[in-house]
Amino acid sequence: MMMTGTRLRQIGWGVLLGVCMAAFAVLSLTVHAVRNEVVLTDKQIVSLKKKRQLLETEFQARASQHQLARWNRVDLGFVAPRADQYLDGRKQLAMLGQGRGPDAPSPVRLARADGADASQFARREMVSPISGAPITLASLEGPEDGAGTLLAEAFGDLLIEASPIRTAKAQTGSSLTAEPVE
Amino acid sequence: MNSGARALGAGQASLFDAVPELLGAGPRVRGKKGAKPGPFVRPREVYSEAFVRPAAVPESLPAMRARLLNSARTRILILAMAFAALATVALVQIAWLGMDGPVRANRPSASTLIPPRGEITDRNGIPLAVAYPAYSLYFYPKAMDGSGDDPLVREPADLARELKAIFPDMDAEKVAKKLASGKGGYLRRRILPEEANAVWALGEPALQSPEILDRHYPQGRLASHVIGGVADDGETQAGTFGMEEALNAQLSDPELRATPSELSIDARVQGALEDEMNRGMKLAKADGAAGVVLDVDTGEVIAMASLPDFNPNRVSQEDAENVGNRVTFLRGELGSVFKPLTVAAGIDAGVITNLTRQWDASPVEVGGKTFYDFEDKGELLTIPEALAYSSNTVTMRVGDQLGGERLHQVWLDLGMDRPVEIEIKGTSTPLFPKAPWTPMTTQVAAFGHGFNVTPLHLANAYAAMVNGGIFRPATLKKVEPGQTVPGTRVFKASTSQKMRQLLRLVVKHGTGRNANAAATGFRVGGKTGSAEKFINGRYSTTRIIATFAAAFPMDRPRYVVVVALDEPKVTHAMAGRTAYFNAAPIVGNLIRRAGPMLGVRPDNTRDVDVSDLEYLLKDKK
Repeated sequence: MMMTGTRLRQIGWGVLLGVCMAAFAVLSLTVHAVRNEVVLTDKQIVSLKKKRQLLETEFQARASQHQLARWNRVDLGFVAPRADQYLDGRKQLAMLGQGRGPDAPSPVRLARADGADASQFARREMVSPISGAPITLASLEGPEDGAGTLLAEAFGDLLIEASPIRTAKAQTGSSLTAEPVE
Repeated sequence: MNSGARALGAGQASLFDAVPELLGAGPRVRGKKGAKPGPFVRPREVYSEAFVRPAAVPESLPAMRARLLNSARTRILILAMAFAALATVALVQIAWLGMDGPVRANRPSASTLIPPRGEITDRNGIPLAVAYPAYSLYFYPKAMDGSGDDPLVREPADLARELKAIFPDMDAEKVAKKLASGKGGYLRRRILPEEANAVWALGEPALQSPEILDRHYPQGRLASHVIGGVADDGETQAGTFGMEEALNAQLSDPELRATPSELSIDARVQGALEDEMNRGMKLAKADGAAGVVLDVDTGEVIAMASLPDFNPNRVSQEDAENVGNRVTFLRGELGSVFKPLTVAAGIDAGVITNLTRQWDASPVEVGGKTFYDFEDKGELLTIPEALAYSSNTVTMRVGDQLGGERLHQVWLDLGMDRPVEIEIKGTSTPLFPKAPWTPMTTQVAAFGHGFNVTPLHLANAYAAMVNGGIFRPATLKKVEPGQTVPGTRVFKASTSQKMRQLLRLVVKHGTGRNANAAATGFRVGGKTGSAEKFINGRYSTTRIIATFAAAFPMDRPRYVVVVALDEPKVTHAMAGRTAYFNAAPIVGNLIRRAGPMLGVRPDNTRDVDVSDLEYLLKDKK
């Protein structure tokens, strides 16, 4: 049987079209199969979530506050920790068990939010932690002569910057002449 | 079709007529003689139409064979075409299922997880009310044959007896009647899985156990008065009281119900409060108890308990009496706990300027009556002493100097004349004397008598007294961090500071010592109150309401705790019936348990400085 080129080409196009259609059909089926899997998984997720909710509710019911308190009363006997069972840090841990030294200050810090007291505290003079003698910053101390004042005015801020002692109240001679800062 | 058959001549024989002879069979008998041929005859006549030939022409055997073969082929072709058509339909269906299919229609989504009624959680997300799929027992008469005529295998009475064996509290007669009636319906709204299995084992198809979404409270009795309850008519659930009612619109809104509604309650603190109150109530053999923990800066209710309580999952007849919330409903003259508020009003108004001043503590005669102190501590007392020893007379004199108008105004500012503002219903209206106040009313009101309020009124007032002087209504809805709650100023900030010191002093050396002992390191401050109940026109000496109102930590108050016991008794465990013996230890134990949960750490190296007042107390302990 003889076939002309045109006929052959026609058949070729037909076959190509057929292959494309088949491939498209296969692809569509695969896509839908995947989509179905997704739907199925979605269903499973929802059903698992429902089961989880159920279980969670059961756990909550079994471990309700009242049930825990009952167990604690009968079996466990836990009590809330005492204040001395809390530690603030390493320093407090190191001090644990050490007796209070003679003439040591009271370890209890007292709080009183009182306006008058706070201002009084702010005006207190700086003292040496060792000797208890009052200290004055180098920048504040100085003879009233012109050279000292001049020096303080010129380099006071610089000296304060360089000094290892830091205080919020540190002021230079020049700023001292202005209104005192409370 | 028929026209073709009719076209055949009388002498013409069809192929089918020829077949029996061909096969050597006898004449066919089909129905009655003379009866019309049945419809199944016709097609053969039709199909044979093309292949007939005149009978007159004798047919040769090969020709007949060819003809028969031809007709057989035709039939096979027709059959094959029918199969092909069927196969095509099947393929199309497969393709349709493969391409699109009906799965899309019943595709589940997250929306199925949205409950029919929104969840309620505590401030940390612990569920307090959820939708829970529970089994129910349903009678479906049409399960057997669809008609519902004879729905049961057994006799209704026998079946009812067997059901009673599974559910002992079931009324067998009633159920038998229901089963016999043949009408479907729920026999039980909620059954356990094992009960569902037992019913299934009975083998009655008409008894079914469908899952229905029920309202469930996983924490049981916890905060039952706050959460409330719902009425379920099988279709919808509507809140009937408590927060279920207050949040009803939000909980049933399809747009909002997916997100849980957060309450201000902390389930752990609530559990601790109920536990401690339960124990204290049993020790003191009290009739009831009310307790509340309030955030002083936002007015959030961290815990609110009323005892005896009820189980919201199954409200029994006995429980139904306990549905009233004593925190917002129990109304009484709360007594001495109001003394600090009077002192605060005095300091605020400039009546008390010097705490070292000695006040006359001799009995007060007013309105024809004489009022004494509970315990005589001397003729002259300072304000710190008056509070620490709970002196009626000194507080009355402070009230007198303050005057009826000013004290009345402070009490109004603290909301003592109106029902407490809160989301839940069931709040009682205070019994509050109208202005102008007589000296008697003023002086009695100064030590918390002559007007009836609820424990929540007191908690609100204490919060305003210690938080810097701002009064805020209590709320059961969570306030997000950083959100400011508007309030009105009642006391000056400096008055509030002074009151913190005085309240700490009362707990350190006065009637609140038991709370201090139980909660060391928490810097508790507060005041006891043991008010005699007014019954049949006179004050009873044995029936009292013992209250302890406290705040902690006093160096920077964050929470107010109020516990009130209704008619505590003297028992082996309690040497007295006043708040010193019963309510104060409950609060102390609670603070010790709940303080760390609320972020307040106990610290023995920290306290409020009361050194300038301590020396004023005569016999400090």
